[in-house]
Amino acid sequence: MYLRNRQALFWALFLPIIIMVIFGLFNFDSAPKVKIRVADQARTPASEAFVGALGQSGIVELTQGDREAALEELKKGGIDMVVVLPPGFGAAGQQPAVEALYHSGRPQSARTGETVVNRVLDEMAFQAAGVERPFKLETRPVEARNLRYIDFLVPGVIAMAIMQMGIFSVAFALIQFRQQGVLRRLKAAPIRPGDFLVGQVITRLLISILQTAALIGMGVVFFGVHVEGSYVTLMTLALVGGALFITIGFVISGYIRTEEVAAPVANVVAMPMMFLSGVFFPRDTLPAFLRTLTDYLPLTYLADGIREVALEGAGFVQVWGDFLGLGVWLVVCFILAARAFRWE
Amino acid sequence: MRDREEIIVVKGLTKRYGPLVAVNSVSFSVGEGEVFGVLGPNGAGKTTTVEILEGMRTPDSGTATVAGIDVVREAAKVKGIIGVQLQTSAFFDGLNLVELLELFGTLYRRKVVGRQLLEQVELADKAKASYKHLSGGQKQRLAIAAALVNNPRVLFLDEPTTGLDPQARRHMWGLIRSLQQEGKTILLTTHYMEEAEELCNRVAIMDMGRVIALDTPAALIDQLLAKGFRNERPPRLANLDDVFLDLTGKSLRED
Repeated sequence: MYLRNRQALFWALFLPIIIMVIFGLFNFDSAPKVKIRVADQARTPASEAFVGALGQSGIVELTQGDREAALEELKKGGIDMVVVLPPGFGAAGQQPAVEALYHSGRPQSARTGETVVNRVLDEMAFQAAGVERPFKLETRPVEARNLRYIDFLVPGVIAMAIMQMGIFSVAFALIQFRQQGVLRRLKAAPIRPGDFLVGQVITRLLISILQTAALIGMGVVFFGVHVEGSYVTLMTLALVGGALFITIGFVISGYIRTEEVAAPVANVVAMPMMFLSGVFFPRDTLPAFLRTLTDYLPLTYLADGIREVALEGAGFVQVWGDFLGLGVWLVVCFILAARAFRWE
Repeated sequence: MRDREEIIVVKGLTKRYGPLVAVNSVSFSVGEGEVFGVLGPNGAGKTTTVEILEGMRTPDSGTATVAGIDVVREAAKVKGIIGVQLQTSAFFDGLNLVELLELFGTLYRRKVVGRQLLEQVELADKAKASYKHLSGGQKQRLAIAAALVNNPRVLFLDEPTTGLDPQARRHMWGLIRSLQQEGKTILLTTHYMEEAEELCNRVAIMDMGRVIALDTPAALIDQLLAKGFRNERPPRLANLDDVFLDLTGKSLRED
């Protein structure tokens, strides 16, 4: 029956995909370049060599201009650092001070900029003095498993989608059924509330599982996500997680009478989890007490579990803690849902 | 109806909602095969009484049995042998009518042929429609079809003709009569006195939670006439209902 509501099915898949695409577009992976503007007041071969070397460093977005205008731009925040090459730069016998002015609010860019400028100056000094470097640095890439942001994101978004599909679809549908009197009519039939709940969870779980499979499929096909672990473990996690969030939907629909109230309540339940359970960003940046607290959120167990299986190839044994967490929540929520359930 | 086997027996039924006594020591019994009407103004306690008999509410005191089964202690068992059409209820939208009835069959652990039930209530042409696209009369007929999935001995119909046009109402009367002919016992609530007169073997009139009269319609009218009551406008051989049906025809207009 729920499969007939094609619109609902579409939107349930659409939102997670949109999130994957949008967040996938952010380029969190490459280090941002430092914006340096050089005010070359020397105009000597040495100063030009400096500018050339700086431009080739690969991590500097280089522009040129005069000192005053560059300072203005720095104050506006358009650039990270201004380097002033004084007259006489590079001439033998002089030791002119090269000014490096940086944006006080961006210490990280400043440090990177300073390092690069220093290195270029050192290089020029070595050359001018004809000194051969006593050692050489060789850098070589090593083929490593390349964890991009999207690899982190997709498992998180799948966990989030399982949560959304569970909580929102169930809470609203049940409240609607009750308001229309559909549940009232069922009350007149010889069916126990517990049986009805279990039946609803199972049918909705089947759909949730299909949607999850579709999302994983799209993650693999369109975003090149590799699933290191077994799909069986992954789907089992999705199954237990799906059952949990559907049950949470029933808890909400049991305590809340109208759709108008259910909407904010469902959001109050879902939104904090979305941001605190490490769906979009790792939880490492949270304050310690909050991190400990969020360890026990239902969505944390699901997101961490899916991520460990997908990225680290974890099996049942490694994610048993997540299964346990989900299981405990499931039992608690089912008891709550059964107690709160009302036909009318 | 002393010659019939009693199938519904109600004794001293009372239900309070806070200070309000919705049902106040109500007693009556219904014989098998009877069409029994429960009449009364809004708030008289008709629906509460019926819902207690359906096992949907628990009375504060009193007992009631349907086919010998206690409706309080064995509510689930009662629900299994009765058919129910509620005053306010609805059905799932996502299914067509055949699927809907077959789903209801599974609630009673019975395999039913949805189309057959639809034919019985003359909705076969709507087999593939969904509930929300039905007219008021069609919705009531579907509710009756759903009440028949377990082939019940007793049917509870709560205001089955409220809000229907005269054609649909008469159509519903025909359906109720044919169900009685099949041997079913029917407990009916209504606000329409001509409907009660037309269909019911006996009626109970309720007010303020009490049964204030209980007899056959003819006997109740005789009692009133015996008190010297005379209708100020003596009835004529036809009424406006007849005029309406003569002008617009008796066939259903809901499709």
